[in-house]
Amino acid sequence: MKMHEIRELIRLVDESKIEEFELENDGTKVLIKKAIAGAKEVSIMPLAPEASPAPAAPTHAPSSVEVPVEEPVKKVEEPVKEEVDSDASLHKIVSPMVGTFYRSPSPDSDPYANSGDRVDEKSVVCIVEAMKLMNEIEAEVRGEIVKVLAENGQLVEYGQPLFLVKVD
Amino acid sequence: MGKNLREPLLKLLIEQKEGYISGEEISQRLICSRTAIWKHINELRSEGYQIEAKPKAGYRLVYRPDRVAPEELIPHLSTTSIGRAVRYQRSVPSTQSLAHEWAKEGAQEGSLYLTEEQTAGRGRMGRIWHSPTHSGIWMSLILRPPIPLNQSPQLTLLTSVAITRALRKQTNLPIQIKWPNDLLIHGKKVCGILTELRGEQDQVHYVVQGIGINVNATESVWPEELRPIATSLAIEGGRTFSRPELIGAICGELETLYDGYLSYGFTPIRILWEEYAGMLGQEVTARTGQGSVKGIAKGLAETGALLLETHTGVQTIFSSDIEW
Repeated sequence: MKMHEIRELIRLVDESKIEEFELENDGTKVLIKKAIAGAKEVSIMPLAPEASPAPAAPTHAPSSVEVPVEEPVKKVEEPVKEEVDSDASLHKIVSPMVGTFYRSPSPDSDPYANSGDRVDEKSVVCIVEAMKLMNEIEAEVRGEIVKVLAENGQLVEYGQPLFLVKVD
Repeated sequence: MGKNLREPLLKLLIEQKEGYISGEEISQRLICSRTAIWKHINELRSEGYQIEAKPKAGYRLVYRPDRVAPEELIPHLSTTSIGRAVRYQRSVPSTQSLAHEWAKEGAQEGSLYLTEEQTAGRGRMGRIWHSPTHSGIWMSLILRPPIPLNQSPQLTLLTSVAITRALRKQTNLPIQIKWPNDLLIHGKKVCGILTELRGEQDQVHYVVQGIGINVNATESVWPEELRPIATSLAIEGGRTFSRPELIGAICGELETLYDGYLSYGFTPIRILWEEYAGMLGQEVTARTGQGSVKGIAKGLAETGALLLETHTGVQTIFSSDIEW
């Protein structure tokens, strides 16, 4: 582990609510403890041959991870946005994350859902992929697909409408 | 007793090494009848174990087949959740599809589907994953992470780091990660990870991670077109490796990093990932549905996205195939 990485670790721990932080990496163990007054203790030691157990979990939630919606590679246009907003009676299936929108499980297979198709809560309607995680999006409602709002292979934003569904 | 007898019985036989262990001793140590022992000896034989039975002396293990069955894996497990529930079949179409079904039935966190061979192993977007019998690790892991859904792509990086650490320790081979989660040795692919998620808008129901590692494969088991781009631990290391031992090591690293991630967030994973990524500081090409971008790979954003320095500034890549 490099010095600048250790420095960065200390800074991140310092800025967080974490009181104690332990990291094992290639035979090096880093332990950072905050004193009540705010002082820090950093110890770096070679590891014992046997693997040490996982660090104990503190009770607070993983609040330190923040996922801002960042600017994607290319800004995607939303040509039907106004139309979407104007028809409030239709249900919008929106993207739960930034990623690539895929309409079918593979390039040569049929789309999961076309306009006019019936779907129920558990029907998979598309995949949104980010960092090679394939998120199979379910309709979450029962009804009929009225419009497909994104193109296959298009980069979509968090919260971007993907389908309009006429709910039963 | 039933199935639970097989693992301690095999352990006793392995412990004897070259020697015999009497039926009476087994029966005392495992608290079971001689008939039950005989039944389980025959079951092990049908799985390919050669066990000699000699009057007055007892049983002796002569040959142990190369398998990733639970009774071979459990002695190498040091975890409390990852790999503690195992389903195993000698041959399956796809562990990934079976793990999805298992997850829908309510499989617990850390459940692992294992096999010797996949006849319809799959990668992303309907691609085929070649999984010739006994030559690699073909498994699917079920996770139920209590994290917001939009953080879940970080799991692909986490698992790539865990497997890299386990394989580096076990093999000493110079394994590197290509963003986000391909494992390479000297530029050739040795491990692929397929992560699939089912959830609602902001909540993860479950994640299935398919992990394919070429362990003891020789080039001859692959189709011609894979040979220039694929490699195995055995090809690179010049020797074979015990698959159950590797799986045990991977489960251990996964559990440590996963617990750490849930407690402390992504930063420790990001720092480790950057250490194992051979591509940082080098020029790479990111191909997306909308064309390709060239730039210098700088590192990871706190989301796990790739930071690419291009002539127009630093771009954040969420979804792309990287050529390096």
